[in-house]
Amino acid sequence: MINLQELRTRARDLLTKGEVRAVVGYRRGSRGMAAEPVVITRPEEAAQLVWDPSCVHNLALYLVEDRKLLKHRRQTPDKPIAIVAKGCDARAIVVLLQENYFKREEVYILGVSCEETGVFSDQKLMRRFGVNSQALTDARFDGTDYVVTSAEGEQRCAAREVMAERCLECRQPFPKVNDVVLGEEKARTLEAPFAALGRFEQTANTQVARWDFWKRQFDRCIRCFACRSVCPMCYCEECIVDSITFTVAPDTTAEEKANRVRWIQRSATGSENIGYHMTRALHLAGRCIDCGECERVCPVHIPLRLLNTKLERDAREKFGYEPGASIEVASLVSSFRDDDPNDFIR
Amino acid sequence: MTKKRTGVFVCHCGSNIAATVDVAAVAAAMAGEESVVCARDYVYMCSDPGQNSVIQAIKDNQLDSVVVSCCSPNLHEKTFRENAKAAGLNDFTCEIANIREQCSWVHKDRAKATAKAIRISLSAVKRVSRNLALEPIGIGVTRRVLVVGGGIAGIQASLDLANSGFEVVLVEKNATIGGHMIQLSETFPTLDCSQCILSPKMVEITRHPKITLMTSSEVQEVTGYVGNFRAKILKKATYVDPDKCKICDDCAKVCPVVVPNQYDLGISARRAIYIPFAQAIPASYTLDESSCLGLNPVVCGKCKDVCEAGAIDYDMQSRTVTEEIGAIVVATGFDLYSQDHLGEYGHLENAVDGLQFERMCSASGPTKGKVLRPSDHKEPKDVVFIQCVGSRDPARHCSYCSKICCMYTAKHARLYKHHVPDGRAYVFYIDIRSGGKGYEEFVQRTMEDDETLYLRGRVSKIYEDNGKIRVYGNDTLSGQNVEIEADMVVLALAMQPSAGTAEIAKTLKIGRDKDGFLQEAHPKLRPVESVTAGIFLAGAAQGPKDIPETVSQASAAAAKVVTLLSQPRLIRSPTVARVRSRLCTGCEMCVDACPYDAIHLENGKAVVNDVLCEGCGTCSATCVRAAIEVKNATPLQIQEMIGAVLSL
Ligand SMILES: Cc1cc2nc3c(=O)[nH]c(=O)nc-3n(C[C@H](O)[C@H](O)[C@H](O)COP(=O)(O)OP(=O)(O)OC[C@H]3O[C@@H](n4cnc5c(N)ncnc54)[C@H](O)[C@@H]3O)c2cc1C
Ligand code: SF4
Ligand code: SF4
Repeated sequence: MINLQELRTRARDLLTKGEVRAVVGYRRGSRGMAAEPVVITRPEEAAQLVWDPSCVHNLALYLVEDRKLLKHRRQTPDKPIAIVAKGCDARAIVVLLQENYFKREEVYILGVSCEETGVFSDQKLMRRFGVNSQALTDARFDGTDYVVTSAEGEQRCAAREVMAERCLECRQPFPKVNDVVLGEEKARTLEAPFAALGRFEQTANTQVARWDFWKRQFDRCIRCFACRSVCPMCYCEECIVDSITFTVAPDTTAEEKANRVRWIQRSATGSENIGYHMTRALHLAGRCIDCGECERVCPVHIPLRLLNTKLERDAREKFGYEPGASIEVASLVSSFRDDDPNDFIR
Repeated sequence: MTKKRTGVFVCHCGSNIAATVDVAAVAAAMAGEESVVCARDYVYMCSDPGQNSVIQAIKDNQLDSVVVSCCSPNLHEKTFRENAKAAGLNDFTCEIANIREQCSWVHKDRAKATAKAIRISLSAVKRVSRNLALEPIGIGVTRRVLVVGGGIAGIQASLDLANSGFEVVLVEKNATIGGHMIQLSETFPTLDCSQCILSPKMVEITRHPKITLMTSSEVQEVTGYVGNFRAKILKKATYVDPDKCKICDDCAKVCPVVVPNQYDLGISARRAIYIPFAQAIPASYTLDESSCLGLNPVVCGKCKDVCEAGAIDYDMQSRTVTEEIGAIVVATGFDLYSQDHLGEYGHLENAVDGLQFERMCSASGPTKGKVLRPSDHKEPKDVVFIQCVGSRDPARHCSYCSKICCMYTAKHARLYKHHVPDGRAYVFYIDIRSGGKGYEEFVQRTMEDDETLYLRGRVSKIYEDNGKIRVYGNDTLSGQNVEIEADMVVLALAMQPSAGTAEIAKTLKIGRDKDGFLQEAHPKLRPVESVTAGIFLAGAAQGPKDIPETVSQASAAAAKVVTLLSQPRLIRSPTVARVRSRLCTGCEMCVDACPYDAIHLENGKAVVNDVLCEGCGTCSATCVRAAIEVKNATPLQIQEMIGAVLSL
């Protein structure tokens, strides 16, 4: 695990020297050890920062929020914003940079390597210890096992038993693109990439079985849009599958308002839900970096990673494309090579 | 939106549509639509009375929009838009519903086909109701032409264009023009000498005041669009000034380097400084950098010392020239299929390919017109000609027929018999394909007058044995196995696109077919146009063909260019992409995706160049924010069209 004191010192120095206007990081939440995202602007607040396996959130989302706010306020700050970024968060930032959402010099990436640990899955904690991270007071990794402290005292378990599935499958726990990075680059292969997807395809091994599975999943969706809200890639002002987000400007005419395209009805019925999720999945092809946040926040537990990692695996296998690997390359769906496979065209 | 007044005109297309679709029912169904004020059917809507009825109906019913349910918009969109215009409407108030190719031709069930035709027509009614009246975009034209490739195709196209008064830039990658034709000895079906008919044309190229010839040159980059291209051409250093060179051969005499001469396909040798052949154009020696000892007087410098004309300049530099042109003719020709692919057939010493055989027969060739086999320079008495080597073999080689090999093999057998009257010629063939004026008679004469033995069947085995080549085959007509002890074998290798075709296609953004030849815009109706406006195709680069066909295609391409460049202004379609700036986040995905480089960012927002945009819609399909759409095919229109198709 990285040295927490170093993280705090770095953050404090950045703020003291005025090199950044704020630092997005994690602090202790209101219950137990569970971390929550925080934006600090004063050097003394750096002492609040934490780094532990409960830092599940993809903070890149706050860079998007920051941009939207700045735009709303018509501000163009002269200093970057700093962000504590895990491997997956850093990949998300790379995609945002690739899409010109902000410029490289507008963000200061305070990379933290997950090394061997990754982050918790609250569901797995519940299953293993009967409590989630809000009931833990401490958790550490002793080189082989997790040691967690709760009302029951200290308990140990193998890391994989409580680690989020995407962390088990993670192929890049180290934030490659960074301004400074804490911790080491360590190889971690607890599970093969796309292992969960592989298991799913083994059980639902026909098209009919998979369609049944997804129909059942999407029938449950209540279209709370939590998945969209938590996703740093879903930064569009107007979501084409949610007509209520239609943006109105002073020059928008009544006719334009009346004629906005409603691809999907508002009602949360099966067919509309499928339309929403399929569109979102396709819009994330080559952009989703598998931070697993959508699946984590879904109140009805729809296994969205299965959908997104399917597209990620296709992108990798068919086009040799890794989302979040490079700022310079053209996005998956906008690039074309003569030797791209086209066997799917019949 | 004010209420639309749409007219729907349903065509029978004789029985093409009416036999499968109840056209009256389609018209009746459309008449029931709220926005449709007039709907009728007619036997041939595109005929003169048909068109007149459309114009009259627009006037009589004060229509503001028109749908014609007929054939593909490729065929008659223009026709009916002209009608709309003649009746005082904007062209873009007319849309086509394709109920022929997309309905009647592909269905049998009349009831279902009619229901589908109704939905297709309804979707066009929905679309047209939201069409904007657009004005065509007019652009200027550069009246100059770039011709790429100096074979007979490029030469013919250049001469036709120059004689029509257009300036031509002819770019050839080799040191001389002439292509493969200049390597041939005599040509079927008349057996006239290839050089005698081609050389005068080559000379005319250099003398023509309207033609700029650039040999040893390559097109590196082409930007712009129809009527207004800009080409970057790399002119490589040849180290000899063609204007000063007197072709005295003094330099080659002193040059110590000997390498195979590629113009004789390796059966003769040349020096590092050389002239490809006597009739080369430009008529000048050229220095081959790769075999020269170093372009350095300290190392060698013999040629420079001896050249009295002072034509040699070791410091000559390659340079890039930029040319503005309005149209491009691509005539990059073919190459023979490589013997590397042949396995046991390949690279036997006394097995030559067709072009090597041509060089042997040529009076100006390396053997001065004598047929001599490579190993010992003796006259071969038994020669086996094998057709379809690499052609018509989808499993291992090219699936297509190279079209000319039957004919040139017959020619080769005759030439051989004319050179070696006491020799024996055998031809292995699958079939003889001799369609063409005088072609069948030519082959018959080879068999009868020149006593060539034609054996129908594939060769099963071939190997070198004691200075001979043993050829085993099967004569399927007599059902017997044949074994021939040959002195020499001539392989009729397949024709394939020339080496750089893939690259030039990429540079010019034109397509290639499954075999790698350049793709024409339509196999029947637009055979000399590429898929990109303003770029035309000629010769063997587009597919295997002989000289008469190559010349016809070259002249046809030239005529197309003349048609294009004679227009005072070119009209570009205004159905181009438009950015909904408010939604654009400047992610640049559309910029990368646009095949025509029509989009760039300005102040972080996408901006479309209306002139470059082809309206293909790739950007619109790529943008996840729906921030870019094509005019008259907006997401709203598409949604309503889908709605119409799914309705009823
Ligand atoms: C053995 C043999 C015998 C034949 N005999 C006959 C016959 O008797 N009668 C008959 O009608 N036909 C005959 N043909 C067919 C004839 O050779 C072709 O029809 C003709 O040569 C096609 O001309 P072309 O200009 O299209 O291509 P080519 O002759 O191949 O010329 C293409 C030219 O383009 C140049 N080039 C290629 N790429 C580039 C580039 N990227 N940039 C610039 N320049 C480039 C090449 O160097 C070449 O000069 C024969 C063919 C063969 C192989
Ligand atoms: S793809 Fe869409 S958002 Fe991105 S630059 Fe183009 S128009 Fe703008
Ligand atoms: S429609 Fe879009 S992608 Fe197609 S040419 Fe126009 S700008 Fe380019």
